[in-house]
Amino acid sequence: MTDIILSAQGLVRRFTARKPLFGTPSVVQAVSDVTLDVRRGETLAIVGESGCGKSTLARLLTRLLAPSEGAVVYDGRDIASLSDTEMRTLRRDMQFIFQDPFSSLNPRMTVGALIEEPLRIHRMGSAPERRAKVADLLRKVGLRPEHADRFPHEFSGGQRQRIGIARALATGPRIVVGDEPVSALDVSIQAQVVNILEDLKEELGLTLVIIAHDLAVIRHISDRVAVMYLGEIVELGDAAALFEKPAHPYTETLLSAIPIPATGARKARSLVDGDPPNPISPPPGCRFHTRCPYAQARCRSERPGLRTLAPDRQVACHFAEDLSLAGVDATMAARPAAAERRFAVYSNARANMTGAETNKTKLPTEE
Amino acid sequence: MTTAIPLLQVTDLSIRVRGTSAPLVDNVSFTLNAGETLCIVGESGCGKSLTALALMGLLEGTPLQVEKGSALFQGVDLLSAKPETLRGLRGDRVAMIFQEPMTSLNPALRIGEQIAEAIREHRDMPRDQVRARALEMLKRVRIPAADKRLDEYPHQLSGGMRQRVMIAMALANDPALLIADEPTTALDVTIQAQILELMRSLGAETGAAQIMITHDLGVVAEMADKVAVMYAGRIVEAGTTAQIFDDPQHPYTLGLMSSMPSLAGDQERLVTIPGTVPSPANMPDGCRFAARCPFATGRCKETPLLQDQGAGHRVACWHAPVENFAANSRDEVPA
Repeated sequence: MTDIILSAQGLVRRFTARKPLFGTPSVVQAVSDVTLDVRRGETLAIVGESGCGKSTLARLLTRLLAPSEGAVVYDGRDIASLSDTEMRTLRRDMQFIFQDPFSSLNPRMTVGALIEEPLRIHRMGSAPERRAKVADLLRKVGLRPEHADRFPHEFSGGQRQRIGIARALATGPRIVVGDEPVSALDVSIQAQVVNILEDLKEELGLTLVIIAHDLAVIRHISDRVAVMYLGEIVELGDAAALFEKPAHPYTETLLSAIPIPATGARKARSLVDGDPPNPISPPPGCRFHTRCPYAQARCRSERPGLRTLAPDRQVACHFAEDLSLAGVDATMAARPAAAERRFAVYSNARANMTGAETNKTKLPTEE
Repeated sequence: MTTAIPLLQVTDLSIRVRGTSAPLVDNVSFTLNAGETLCIVGESGCGKSLTALALMGLLEGTPLQVEKGSALFQGVDLLSAKPETLRGLRGDRVAMIFQEPMTSLNPALRIGEQIAEAIREHRDMPRDQVRARALEMLKRVRIPAADKRLDEYPHQLSGGMRQRVMIAMALANDPALLIADEPTTALDVTIQAQILELMRSLGAETGAAQIMITHDLGVVAEMADKVAVMYAGRIVEAGTTAQIFDDPQHPYTLGLMSSMPSLAGDQERLVTIPGTVPSPANMPDGCRFAARCPFATGRCKETPLLQDQGAGHRVACWHAPVENFAANSRDEVPA
C-alpha cells in the first residue's frame, strides 16, 4: 500500500534498569517487537497504562530514541540510515508535542522566540517572514500575535500547550506525534485544545499519532487505535469498531474500567485483580495471562503474536475468535430528552457567542 | 425535610489569603448525613481541596485563613475548635486520604508500623493487638498476602497498593467521616476501578460518610449520592447525583459536561467553555462565571445565590433553567 507514511518494523527497545557492580544487569524491554503502520492523513492513537511502553514507542517513531532492534521507515526509507542533511529534513517533516507544557518551554525565551526557533534552525524565511509566520501560528492556535512578546510563565497551562502546538507546527510538518498532549489539562481546557488539534489537522492535512491514556479522548479524536500492554501491541483496529466490540480481553478490561459520567452507569466491574506484572520479568506466554479472566493453559506457555482477525483488525490472543467480549454500551451514557434539549440550547448559545478568544465555532445543526 | 441532625453541616465557609480582597472559597454550605457520599467536583483552583483542608484544620501555618463559617461535626465546630480537639478528631472520627500515596506514606517506616502509629495515636492497646488490627485492616482493603506486606516498605508496593494502605490507615479507627482528595487521580484506569470499588464497598460495610474531591465527572457518577459543583470558589450547583446528571441546570455544569468527549463517539466536535478560569487576583464581581457564559446578561453583575429549584436541587444562576431564559431573552440586556 502506498498510503503509509510511517511504519515501525519489529521495533525493540531495551533499557538497563539496574546495573550492579558484579553480575548481570537487569534489562527492561520497554518495547518488544512492535510492527505498526501509520496511514497518511489519519489520527492513530496508542493507548495503554503506565509502563506499557507507549511513550517509548512514540520516541522511537520520531527517532528521539534509537531502537535496539528493528527499523522505522518514513516515506519508504529507514530513518536510521539517513544522512545528516536528510535527518534535518526529516525533523522538519516530523514534529513532537510534549505532555507537560510547563517544562517543555524554555522560561527565558519569549513566546515569539520559542515559536520562531524551529524556523531559524531550519533557515526558513527571512526575519520579517518568520515574524509574520509566528503571528500567523499564534492566531491559528487561538492566541493573539501580541502574545509573541510575552514569556511562558505569563500563560496558563492550556495556553502553554497551544504555544507548544504552534511551535510544533512552525516548520510545516506532515506528521505530528503528541505524547499525552491534553492529559495535563482541565476538562474545559482539554476540550478547547482537542478542537484546535482537530481543526489544524484538517486545515494542514496532517497525520497525527497521539499517545494517551484517556479512552474517551481517544475515542473522540482517533481513526484507529493501538492498545499496548507490557511493551506489546495486543490489539489494533478502527476506533469505532474496537470500542464497540473489542477482540482482546485487555481491551475489554480497559473499556470496562472507565467511569461513565451518567446515572445508571454504575456497574460491578472489577474485571481484573492485581497490578500489571514487573516489565523486567514479564510472564511467559501471553503477557496478560496473569490478569486475564479467560486465560487457559495454552496462554501460560505459548506467546500469541499479533495476527489479522478481520479487515482492519489485528489482535494478539489465541482465543479471539471464541471470545465474545463486551464493548462500550452507548445507551448507558444516554440522558433524558429534556436534558438533551438543554444541552442543545447551551450548544447553540455557545456557538453564537462573539468575542470569545477561543477557536472558531462551527454551528452544529440543531433546532 | 428530615429532622435528624446531619453528620456534618458546613455553613458559609469562606477562605482567603491573608490581606487579599477576593476569597478563594466563598460562602460554601452543604450538609452530609451519616453513611452518605458527597462528591465535590470542579477544575483546578475552584477551591475544592481548600474546602477539604479547612475541614481537617490543615490550613494552620499557611497564608490561608478561614475568614468565616462553621462546620458542625458531632457537636464540634471543626473551624473554630482548639488544635488539641482537632488532633483528637483527626485520624479517629475524621480521616483523610490524599492524591499522592507515595508522598503521604513515610518511606522509612514499614507499612504495619505506619498503620499501628495511626491506631496508637488514638487507642491505648497492647502491641500485639495493635498489630493484629493493622493486619485486619490490610486484609480489609484486600491486599494479597497481607501478613507479608505488613513488614514491607512503601517503595516495595505499587501505586494502587499504596493507596490501599492509605485507606487502611484512614479507616483503622472506624471514622465517621472519610475525606478523600482525588484518591484515584494518580492511578491507572484499571487500578482506579479497583480502588473505587473498594471505597464503595468499605463505605457500605463501615457506614462511614465520605466526602470525595474529584475533577472527574465519571468518578462522581460512580460514587456520589450527592454532588456539589464548584467554580472559582463557589458552589454553583448542588443536588443528588440524578439531579446533577439528568437535569443539569447551571451553564458551567452544562459546559463542563459538554466538554467531555463521550465514549460513544457521537460528537462531531466538542462544545467547549470559552476562555479560562479567572485568577484569584482579579476575581470578577457578581457571577464569577459570567465572562465565559453564553447566557450572561447585565443582571449577572449581581451575585446569584444558590436557589432551590425543587427537591433540594440548588442552582446559583439568574437564568436557570436556560431553555426558558433563551426563549424569553429578547428584552434582557447583554453583559
